[in-house]
Amino acid sequence: MIKVEFYGTLRSLMNLDRLVVEAGTIKELILTIEKDTEIACKSELRNAITFVNQENFLKLKKYNTKLISGDEVVFLSPASGG
Amino acid sequence: MLGGYEGKVLSINLSDHTTELYPWTDGDRKKYLGGKIMAAKIIYELLDPNVKPLSEDNIVVISTGPFTNTGAPASSRFNASTISPLTNLITSSNCGGNFGLMLKKAGYDALIIRGQSKKKVWIEINDEVVFHEADGLWGLSVEETQESMPKKSGKLVIGPAGENAVKFAGLFSQERTAGRGGIGAVFGYKNLKGISSFGTNKTPVSHDKTKEFYKSWIKSIRKHPLTGTQLPKYGTAGLLTVMHHNNLLATKNFNEGRFSGFNKISGEYLAENHLVKNKGCITCPIQCGRQVEIDGKVVKGPELETLGLFGANILNDDIESILRWNLELDQLGMDSISTAGVIAFAMELNEKGLWDNGLEFGKIDNISNTIADIAHKRGIGKDLAEGVRFLSEKYGGKEFAIHSKGMELSAYEPRGAVGQGLGYAVSNRGGCHLNAGYIVLFEGLSMNMNPHKETNKAEFTIFSQDLLEVCSASGLCLFTLQPMLPPGIIMKPNSFITQTANKMLTAPITAFVIKQLNYSKEKSLPVHLPMIPHSKALGYVTGMPMDIGRFKTIGERGFNLERLVNIKRGLIASDDDLPSRLKNEPQHGNHEAKVPLESLKSQFYKCRGWDASGVPTEKTLKKLGL
Repeated sequence: MIKVEFYGTLRSLMNLDRLVVEAGTIKELILTIEKDTEIACKSELRNAITFVNQENFLKLKKYNTKLISGDEVVFLSPASGG
Repeated sequence: MLGGYEGKVLSINLSDHTTELYPWTDGDRKKYLGGKIMAAKIIYELLDPNVKPLSEDNIVVISTGPFTNTGAPASSRFNASTISPLTNLITSSNCGGNFGLMLKKAGYDALIIRGQSKKKVWIEINDEVVFHEADGLWGLSVEETQESMPKKSGKLVIGPAGENAVKFAGLFSQERTAGRGGIGAVFGYKNLKGISSFGTNKTPVSHDKTKEFYKSWIKSIRKHPLTGTQLPKYGTAGLLTVMHHNNLLATKNFNEGRFSGFNKISGEYLAENHLVKNKGCITCPIQCGRQVEIDGKVVKGPELETLGLFGANILNDDIESILRWNLELDQLGMDSISTAGVIAFAMELNEKGLWDNGLEFGKIDNISNTIADIAHKRGIGKDLAEGVRFLSEKYGGKEFAIHSKGMELSAYEPRGAVGQGLGYAVSNRGGCHLNAGYIVLFEGLSMNMNPHKETNKAEFTIFSQDLLEVCSASGLCLFTLQPMLPPGIIMKPNSFITQTANKMLTAPITAFVIKQLNYSKEKSLPVHLPMIPHSKALGYVTGMPMDIGRFKTIGERGFNLERLVNIKRGLIASDDDLPSRLKNEPQHGNHEAKVPLESLKSQFYKCRGWDASGVPTEKTLKKLGL
């Protein structure tokens, strides 16, 4: 099972902070989340800053990054402040 | 006279309780605009280079900008500058609240506070200037002091920490703080508890199109995903989660960049569990301020810096304690960044057996008392009140004394963003994230510019510093610059276009282009950029010829002017520094991450038009008319 967390404005969109789902890749994970939650979030999650086990998935294989049970995926929205 | 100004600068002499107008011409306004740049010019002109920060001879300049009191977005600002008791160099602080607006409504663009009052006083400015005895206010909290002043006025006060000359005591206006560098201590030393100001003036603007332009500007700020959604929803605290994931969250006195308890001190947690409502400055369309409830009372909530430095940096994941300390700091009148910095450093000194002070990472039951002890200079608070640099000279640990030029660093761990590390080191006021240029925004917060690569870091830091400098001097909140990040880029971080943009940010060609922009002469960029509406608006308000080139050049002039003040005070290149931990020790779990400071610094000096000693060359000074 993959542990998923949402932060920033994505959390408001999803109306939840975390969930656990089964998926083999990030691409699959996003589709599964949309299906399970029945929230139209595919586009937002595809455009989220995404970390897999604390590594930005841009340094891995992006949407094709393989996931195994116990992996942690974090979806973040960009932020500013100062 | 140019639009956007009241045309008067009031010089107040506390020694003999007299006032006079300080000469300031349209020529000065065109060159130095207002705010911190105007203040730097006045300090450069008036101060003996050897003046002691806590002395009768030091001055405080409180100045507004041309946008203040004209209805511009986020423009109820003022700047306070002085020679800092913490760094012994120039310090400046851009602050919200109601004082700047009311100062201008009372008919003044700026105040110069000189001398030292024999008696404790507070000053009331309206049709006349009245010096009131302040014996009854001495010892009162920031809130109590403001409540004692005329109701409808703008207020600027100190708390007990300022009275006791704590080196990082701040000035407070409503719930906002001019926090950095100990300007509150200078007020306290001068026996000045506060200033109130009231008036009804409407500052004239030059062009009929100004209001219409403001409307569309405000609309664009509200529409932008950062200033229109993220900041109102989570405040600056919304950054904390992103900082953690990007190894940017200062943890355990900057030993690490990630904190396992980040979830419990995040902006999301704050919004979901403690936020009562948003509250921002007058005229601000963003409203990033947080309001929380403590003991049945609604009070100001913590910002990112306070959450990060009183959370991760002392290994504390109890947000309720931070809410309470935040209130205590605001009432006692101290900068939360420096206070948290000295406490974290003292914890590590204790851990390493260098100073038995009772402070320990993760132990929070003695923090409230420690904060009070600092404000009143009691017990260990007496040493803590002098800052990290003083502690490292007395107890050791210079290699992990987290300061630059004597000012404690903000919550961004610079090994996770080396451009920000460079900025901390070369900042005029010391370890400040904003005067640093704040390119961490591009190195991981909103964009994904390679945080460890050196290319374009010096050039981009300069470009950003200059823009922040002139934005501040114009009287605006620095957040008004954040919509310059195109929504189509930041909201699609994984797209080919954004990834290409990120790569281009550290490409040699981009560095070359930015360098040319930085080198360009005042009148060589006669255009406005849609994502930086400031320059066009400034032209409408003041009536002066304005474009992006002129706008940025004013910022460049300001940065160099502050540098000249510091050089006059004895600053040398080796003062542009970071503690050894950040330059020589790899970040925990990130073995490549160190700040290559010497290399970045030499690029920075060259691109700034400074010589190898960090002194602006004749050519640079001539270009800037300094």
